[in-house]
Amino acid sequence: MKKLVSLFLILTMILSCTAALAAEDGKITIWTWDPNFNIAAMNVAKEMYNKDHPDVEIIIEEVLSEDVETRVITAASAGDISNLPDIMLIQDNSAQKFILSYPEVYADITGKYDFTDFAEGKLAYSIVDGKNYGVPFDAGTTVGTYRTDYLEAAGYTIDDMTDIDWDRFLEIGRDVKAKTGMPMLSAQAGAVDTVLIMMQSCGASMFNEDGSVNFTNSDVCKTVLEYYKTMVQEGILIEVNTWDEYCGTLSNGSVVGTINGCWILGTIMGVEDQSGKWALTNIPKLPGIETATNYSNNGGSSWVFTNGTDIDLALDFMQAYRNVDFYNEILPTTSAIATWAPAKEGSNYTAGNDFYSGDAIFAKIVDYTAKVPANQTGAFYYDAREALGTALTNYINGADLESELANAEDTVNFAMGF
Amino acid sequence: MTQATPASKKKRFWTMERKQSAAGWCFLTPAALLIVIFSFWPMIQAFLTSLKRGLPTRLTYCEPLWRNYERMLSDKVFIQSVTNTFTYLIIQVPIMLVLAIIFASLLNNKDLKFRGLFRTCIFLPCATGLVAYSMIFRTLFTYDGMVNAVLLGSGILSEPINWLNEPFYAKVVIIIGLIWRWTGYNMVFFLSGMQGIEYSIYEAARIDGANQFQQLTKITIPLLRPIILVTSIMSINGTLQLFDESVNLTRGGPANMTITMSHYIYNTMFTKNPNFGYAAAMSFVILIMVAVLSAIQMKVGDKR
Repeated sequence: MKKLVSLFLILTMILSCTAALAAEDGKITIWTWDPNFNIAAMNVAKEMYNKDHPDVEIIIEEVLSEDVETRVITAASAGDISNLPDIMLIQDNSAQKFILSYPEVYADITGKYDFTDFAEGKLAYSIVDGKNYGVPFDAGTTVGTYRTDYLEAAGYTIDDMTDIDWDRFLEIGRDVKAKTGMPMLSAQAGAVDTVLIMMQSCGASMFNEDGSVNFTNSDVCKTVLEYYKTMVQEGILIEVNTWDEYCGTLSNGSVVGTINGCWILGTIMGVEDQSGKWALTNIPKLPGIETATNYSNNGGSSWVFTNGTDIDLALDFMQAYRNVDFYNEILPTTSAIATWAPAKEGSNYTAGNDFYSGDAIFAKIVDYTAKVPANQTGAFYYDAREALGTALTNYINGADLESELANAEDTVNFAMGF
Repeated sequence: MTQATPASKKKRFWTMERKQSAAGWCFLTPAALLIVIFSFWPMIQAFLTSLKRGLPTRLTYCEPLWRNYERMLSDKVFIQSVTNTFTYLIIQVPIMLVLAIIFASLLNNKDLKFRGLFRTCIFLPCATGLVAYSMIFRTLFTYDGMVNAVLLGSGILSEPINWLNEPFYAKVVIIIGLIWRWTGYNMVFFLSGMQGIEYSIYEAARIDGANQFQQLTKITIPLLRPIILVTSIMSINGTLQLFDESVNLTRGGPANMTITMSHYIYNTMFTKNPNFGYAAAMSFVILIMVAVLSAIQMKVGDKR
């Protein structure tokens, strides 16, 4: 019995000790999820910081993205955020939703951190009401990357794919399909990644400035869906059901290339026997739209800070993200690409990449990143995304575009009127 | 008015009876309190939440109070999810229960060899995790998956079916998955019920010239009525709360055509902008549906 009582007491002591994670304790706790990616990057930052500040304890915990979200919801609902870490990683697309829904959790770091030279399009994801809440981690800049051997078989080079518009892309796609039988792209059915990439390249998003949903009145949205449907119908873009199948089309060479966030390079370069067969360039732009560019974004994440914690210490630690050497060191192991422009001076960025036949692809991507138009995400990003996915699926299966978009807009407006 | 006698006035408060009943209450209280605190109180809280709206940490009562419930009627996705769930219910539950009874009566045959082996085989799917089997079904039914390969190879199909991307076939896949996963589970209940039926009844029936089918419909099924009632209530209850298959097998797609009510509630809470009040309201609607359906069944099924 005595043993039981003492065990119980010890347990309560342990619990009350760990409860003080985010308190002003001179320690920095970090929640992040991928050992080969953001955890590895934070470990490098930790080493660099501890060289100058050996007394600061930095604890990096592996917590899955969904779990970070659930824990924030739980802590905020319980009204006790002392269990949250000083720094957490958040998906860019979720950032605004969480900052708007749980304003008491996240610290406003405007004016406390120097944001010059960070890509504007990237910063916009974690800016709410003109206030900065996040420090960018990696770029989700979109790249068009294609198999040069397939292009050559149809008589094209990577230069033919550079700075083009979607009409030219369709032309090339039809020609390539006729000559090699290959589709240009693949995408997951029901997912709207490609559609949103195309929209953002024009600086358009699913929402207006005032946060209202923008499908039926958006020419960009309609044009994009029309192009997408044409590509699906002509077999220039094939739709697959799962993410694994999508990755499969890239690794087994059943498509010419892909248009996606630059993090897809990890998957592509993982197939070593295709080394030297790939080339990388920007993406096509929408014809007839004034604001159209050849640059866009898909995915990525940012670091956010818990309110009432060691914010100054945490931000001092985060100076690593304004350091060329840091970005240079994490690039080869993590392939996380900087959104901070000076990083492209690093030797690993300027060096040619063997897989891409000696092209300095990473410096190229940092250049693209600076040109990406900003995107409105807002709190209802996922509501809108799902509604648009439903509209797209039905439209491809023959439903009327206008009425599908009106339906989707209704669905989102419904969610907004909660 | 009768006057109390002095003796009864002086009667001690702690009589034997009271002591015993107090002891009883003492034993009951901890468990009862725990149930109230951890089960009933949250249910009341959830109901109150279902009457509220606003940011997750600043919920306020709706105006009018039943606003969240009223909203459901005009929510197309919710109505779609109810339709989907009832489609599964109406098609899957009867097929599954009939199959379970057939398997059970086959395996109840005393002369059958390797009975234990067959029983284990049919029960085995229940030992697999819901998520695990959903993922496996997803892989089996992909466009270039095993099912298409087998059907093409054996000449049944001339071109592959895009199982997961066509509303009709996606529903079929979910129903096949459910039947595979749950038939064995229900079969076990029927088997144990059949063990309780006296073997001599069958012998008597056979002497009277009843064939296998007649034995099944005239003896087994009537005597199994209480168990059929239990299994069908459990199946209906389970199907109304269907979640794992919708999330992992079809992701609710294509275009919300296979999404279930629970999946939609989850989305409202965790993937979309969190709307606690509306999600709680939808959960209560499921609760009411389960209660009503079970009540009907009890009325229809219980003929004692």
